[in-house]
Amino acid sequence: MKMTPKFIRAQENMKPGKITADGFLGGDDRNIVDIIAADEEEFDYLGLDFVQVEKLLRKLMREGLKGLGESIRYDKWEIRIDEARGFLPCPFQDGIFRKRVATVKNLNNGAEIIYSELSIHLLAAHHFLQGKGAKFRLEPTMIKSVLYE
Amino acid sequence: MEIILTPVVVSVISSLLALIIVVVDGVVNNYGEVEIDINNSKRKLKVKGGAPLLQTLSSQGIFVPSACGGRGSCGACKVKVLSDVGPHLPTELPYMSKDEIKENIRLSCQIKLKKDIKIYLPEELFNIRKFKGIVESLKDVTYDIKELRIRLVEPNEVNFKAGQYMQLVVPPYENIKEPTQRAYSISSSPSDKNHIELLIRLVPGGIATTYVHKYIKEGDVVEIVGPFGDFYMRDTNADMIMVAGGSGMAPIKSIIFDMWERGITNRNIWYFFGARSKRDLYYLELFRELEKKWSNFHFIPALSDQLPEDEWTGETGLITNVLDKYLQSVIPNENAKEGYLCGSPGMINACINVFDKHGVKDVYYDKFA
Amino acid sequence: MMYPNINPLVLFFASIFTSNILLTNFLGMCSFISISKDIKSSNGLGVAVTLVTTITTALNWLLEKYIIMPLDLGYLRYIIYIIVIAAVVQVLEMVIDRVSPNLYMVLGIFLPLITVNCAILGVALFMQLRNYSFIQSVFFGLGSGIGWWLAIVLLAAIRKKTDNAPVPAPLKGVGITLITIGIMAMAFIGFAGMINVQ
Repeated sequence: MKMTPKFIRAQENMKPGKITADGFLGGDDRNIVDIIAADEEEFDYLGLDFVQVEKLLRKLMREGLKGLGESIRYDKWEIRIDEARGFLPCPFQDGIFRKRVATVKNLNNGAEIIYSELSIHLLAAHHFLQGKGAKFRLEPTMIKSVLYE
Repeated sequence: MEIILTPVVVSVISSLLALIIVVVDGVVNNYGEVEIDINNSKRKLKVKGGAPLLQTLSSQGIFVPSACGGRGSCGACKVKVLSDVGPHLPTELPYMSKDEIKENIRLSCQIKLKKDIKIYLPEELFNIRKFKGIVESLKDVTYDIKELRIRLVEPNEVNFKAGQYMQLVVPPYENIKEPTQRAYSISSSPSDKNHIELLIRLVPGGIATTYVHKYIKEGDVVEIVGPFGDFYMRDTNADMIMVAGGSGMAPIKSIIFDMWERGITNRNIWYFFGARSKRDLYYLELFRELEKKWSNFHFIPALSDQLPEDEWTGETGLITNVLDKYLQSVIPNENAKEGYLCGSPGMINACINVFDKHGVKDVYYDKFA
Repeated sequence: MMYPNINPLVLFFASIFTSNILLTNFLGMCSFISISKDIKSSNGLGVAVTLVTTITTALNWLLEKYIIMPLDLGYLRYIIYIIVIAAVVQVLEMVIDRVSPNLYMVLGIFLPLITVNCAILGVALFMQLRNYSFIQSVFFGLGSGIGWWLAIVLLAAIRKKTDNAPVPAPLKGVGITLITIGIMAMAFIGFAGMINVQ
């Protein structure tokens, strides 16, 4: 798939050591345009909407912040927010985000996802959920289990 | 005949064209010498053009703060540019307020030096140096925080205000191909001119903290740049209410011990150290000893999520709640109060709300969070 | 080795209007459609294409006359032409980056894409096919480039005007653009008969 310079640069930035030590691609050797296309299809197939998912992820993070580092119980989820100092830039160079990580567990089925402020931005603005094997990849099926079951 | 002719012709033509490309590249990408005029000709530098302003300045011994080592991800390297360097790049805009754009404040790591430039740098910047040092010790203070003590070699003396931070240079390692810099507050006191002590908490996947926790050894040579920052003790007589947990204790410890060493003991100091459980606490003995010697200093550690085996008898609950309780009913009301905070943005915001509720308006915190 | 008996100036005007490489021969469509969204970048790209076309046609004529013909390397023609075009585009990229980084960023991937713009290879091959002399080739290349430039700026201007027009959904974007190009091509047919070179 042909990649414009913007995507080539973004893919470079996603390699380990550029922005984070482990990078955003995991063990995936597809290029990001293909990863995004495949995930968009899967979202469609599972009936998920990027805008709705973004809203919910943000809301859960907001609620979780009230715990100041402790786990809190909100609706059917247990949420904990960890923060570190400094900022992470988006690989697409369109913003910087606090190093704020949310761990959200669905208390009905025990499913858990981990995401950061940057993950939310990548999902909403670029439909990028990170490569298979990446620590912070938001697998569509996991999103569905945690958020909607 | 053709079998030789074909590759020969194609190669010759390609090589000639490649040569032309190389020549053009040399001409076009050679920006020659440019002049940097600082603070209205107070200092003038003649440098080789083409590189970003940040790197060029640091190669000349002038260190503009950068928490990310010039990668365009922290927004700390802002410089006021007085001449025309073109419109703001898309990589700069996320960090700029409307006013900053109007005043032509730029990210010095994104501005390439293509011609003479006039800039303005605040005076304090000229005090910043790059130090070479040797790792004297690397101790575990908790399960995820290490105390890194560096003996300065060249220059071998540092002057800083308690509360400021240094930038540790992280060299390439493993699959990290480029050096980078990260900011850490100094936990040693200014009286110890030949050493710098840093408290570094391991952040999973963090480039610098992984380096410190897994690769640095005693005896290694390291580079640090600084001092930076405007978090320090304000010279008033107000009570100092300090809140910090985890590795955020560093600048607070530096300020407290600096005051003790210099005999500034007439002010009341309340230090709230918030942690989850016992394994997150450290330096308890150090502060308790100080409390015995210094009647105006009060040390209040609090656990918010203690484990049964901790057998904790001190304060419990979220640090903001403990702070609230003390401001409400323990700390005397008469004196003016100042707040000093170091921690995550979430904690800082929560504490500011508590301070506000009790009428404490002067709150200082470590801004690079 | 008889060159066709056409005045280079006539050839120049012909390649701009009656044999417009884009609107008559329909070569070079890819970046034509994508960049014509914006007049400023269309202008920039038009200049770039003109420069590349003129320089490469001249260079390729020299190579054709002094290397390909004498050594009977007709089968290498495509490869050599493309190599020359690629190199010239590379040099142009570097110069644009230096002179106007803004234009460089705006053109994005379409700058290196000039290499595979069939208009440029087309002009070089027409030059060889019709056996033009050096002067004729230069004017032909220059004229074709300017013709391409004219076409893309015209299309950009038209698109700007029709941007807010109520186009039926299935035709929005590329659809209506292609229809517009078709109508422009028909308009340019009006020039036919003035000068005939192909």
